[in-house]
Amino acid sequence: MSVYQSKIDRRTALKWISVAMASATISTQARAKTYIKTPNGYGTDPNLVNPSAPWERIMSKKQLQLTATLTDIILPAEQPHPAASTVGVPDFINEWVSSPYDQTKKDKSIIMKGLVWVETEAKHRFGQPFELCTSGQQIAIMQTMATVSNNPEHKFFLCFKRLTLGGYYTTPAGFKDIGYIGNVPLKTYPGPSVEQVNKLEKSMKGLGI
Amino acid sequence: MKQVTPYDVIIVGSGAGGGMSAYVLAKRGLKVLMLEAGRDYKPESETPMFNTNDQAPLRGASTPDKPFGFYDATVDGGWTVPGEPYTNAPGNEEFLWWRPRMLGGRTNHWGRISLRFGEYDFKPYSRDGLGVDWPISYDELAPWYDKTEQLIGVTGKAHGLENTPDSPAGILHEPPTPRLHEIMLQRGFENMGIPVAAMRAAILQKPMNGRQACFYATNCGRGCSIKAMFQTTTVLLPPAVATGNLEIITDAMVYTVDMGRNNKAEGVTYIDRKTGEHKSVTAKVVVLAASAAESARILLNSKNSQFPDGLANSSGTVGKYLMDTVGAGSGGHIPMLEGMGPRNDDGMTNAHIYVPWWGYQQQAKKKLDFPRGYHIEVGGGQRMPSMGIAGIANNSKVLFGKGLREEMRAQYGTSVHFAGRGEMIPNDDCYAELDPSVKDKFGIPVLRFHWKWSEYEIKQAAHMRKTFHQLIDNLGGSVTWGKGTDGKEAIMRGGEIIHEVGCARMGNDPQTSVVNKWGQTWDVDNLFILDGAVLPSNPDKNPTLTIMSLAMRNATYLADQIMKRNL
Repeated sequence: MSVYQSKIDRRTALKWISVAMASATISTQARAKTYIKTPNGYGTDPNLVNPSAPWERIMSKKQLQLTATLTDIILPAEQPHPAASTVGVPDFINEWVSSPYDQTKKDKSIIMKGLVWVETEAKHRFGQPFELCTSGQQIAIMQTMATVSNNPEHKFFLCFKRLTLGGYYTTPAGFKDIGYIGNVPLKTYPGPSVEQVNKLEKSMKGLGI
Repeated sequence: MKQVTPYDVIIVGSGAGGGMSAYVLAKRGLKVLMLEAGRDYKPESETPMFNTNDQAPLRGASTPDKPFGFYDATVDGGWTVPGEPYTNAPGNEEFLWWRPRMLGGRTNHWGRISLRFGEYDFKPYSRDGLGVDWPISYDELAPWYDKTEQLIGVTGKAHGLENTPDSPAGILHEPPTPRLHEIMLQRGFENMGIPVAAMRAAILQKPMNGRQACFYATNCGRGCSIKAMFQTTTVLLPPAVATGNLEIITDAMVYTVDMGRNNKAEGVTYIDRKTGEHKSVTAKVVVLAASAAESARILLNSKNSQFPDGLANSSGTVGKYLMDTVGAGSGGHIPMLEGMGPRNDDGMTNAHIYVPWWGYQQQAKKKLDFPRGYHIEVGGGQRMPSMGIAGIANNSKVLFGKGLREEMRAQYGTSVHFAGRGEMIPNDDCYAELDPSVKDKFGIPVLRFHWKWSEYEIKQAAHMRKTFHQLIDNLGGSVTWGKGTDGKEAIMRGGEIIHEVGCARMGNDPQTSVVNKWGQTWDVDNLFILDGAVLPSNPDKNPTLTIMSLAMRNATYLADQIMKRNL
């Protein structure tokens, strides 16, 4: 088991707490009925060039560690691509479930309950905390969640996987892995390669178009 | 406040209509004051050009604070604006109203698709007996389309398609070559007998007037610090200010047009957002370009003893004939795109192709069960991953762990999507009025919307979905979303396409229209409306280019009238 080192520095974490405390003192004034302002959100005019997610994080150290272990079961390191936890995906999942926005509330409940389920299952099945289980045992638990359907564990698996993949492939490391080669200024737009077009032409011919 | 500068014209709003009006009038040497409800905004320094989603809160995902995602340019707005509500009349379908509060308005994040309306589009009633004709023809607006396209910079090619006007040679910029999936979609459409055209988008492909050419990276919806895509804040307002004739006041929420003697508008009154102060300014002419519904709101809120139903409303049609665009979409997974490997699909953000409406002949032969057309916008490719990227794992056989990365790589860029954008016919059930009780945080009565799609639009939305499904099937793919073909379920909500127009339509008859063919109100001759409010119909072609071309034409007329001392 590797210990997850949060990629968030202490000064940033202290800032979240002070923002949360400051906004708690603001009285809730009557708002227009078609707009519900989200307390502790980043607001409707955030700095886009230097962004921040100013809300306090809810995960305990233990929960963040478990999150890291789980993200790396979904996306383990495969040379030359780093594991999900290496690029801060657990911090992102913490940011997501801690977010004050309605859109993420459902995920918060699914994730936080799911983390409890994983621990309970590990103790029940293997007699020890998930972190101390062998890699094979951890994968077996993940496999259970991935394949059974219509229960909260499966919902947790789907939600956790969505956040892990989204969190990972939106990073430069994820770009490199999946093959996103854009976001660079170009003099002319190259379009696809001749090989790619030829391959496509062959497939289209096969379909009669 | 004592006003020092004697203004010739006050313009309310700085978006497509207001920005173009200011440009024309200031260049003509008239003294112009522009009032913008939102804050000052500088795309050059505020645009997150190369920022990746992992640098944004929640990986840039949409929230109520930023409904189009964190990096979307919109300031203090979206479907709702804090403290500035609107309402929907009970028993109606929902209408949504997208508003920003920033200089340049919605041009800072607009879709950039710039399609000319065609000759049929100006005479819809004469063709099928529905809606009303425009008081002008295509030929009258064509030279202004030319000038507007030359000024803002638009991509495209001549195709000679019915009711899809080409531009004169030398105006359009050569669009970038199609992306891989676009080559496939083009073949698929053509195989169905549907012609495909080069995209017309307001994005420079060569440097022009101190603006750089597109460098095929970063999403235009964030704004454009190199000024390749058209925004009034980079293209129209700076040269207008440089003449020394345009003064801009931001955070100025105009709520009423003030009337003076002899049935003349004297000026407007606004609330300074920062101080809450009410201030009045005067000018020879008042131009409303606050957006279709907001301009109507100002007219309705300008009611007085002489105009008890609102200003310029002797016809009773202010707020009426509100329209949006018919929208429906579907997505598909196309296996032949699997494992194609990396290619740079950023391009100019917009698709490099689009599908103009192809069914005029079928409709003439009464082979379709809806009267007006739609165009198709396509999407797909290996774009910068956002949270939605996780969806491609649905096509993976590996659920987690070793092998999942390889599947993600193979599936990246195999999704395509389609958006139908169709013409809505104006109807009596779609309009805006003042809410009898709700006021915004400034105490100004807000708009209450009434909305109802008719069978024309619902049937058209069903046709869109069926067309998309057919193409996805022909390409050997499967429909992943937008599966239903019930038009009522498929059609997006009123306002959701953000093409709301109407509310003060132009016409030849003062009994049935608010303004004449110059955007001049019938009731008050020094009051003009130069935004989307004046459109008597809303063809499938996105309205912004037409709003700007009309504003250019009508502001030129306005300037002529001031020069001739007729106003």
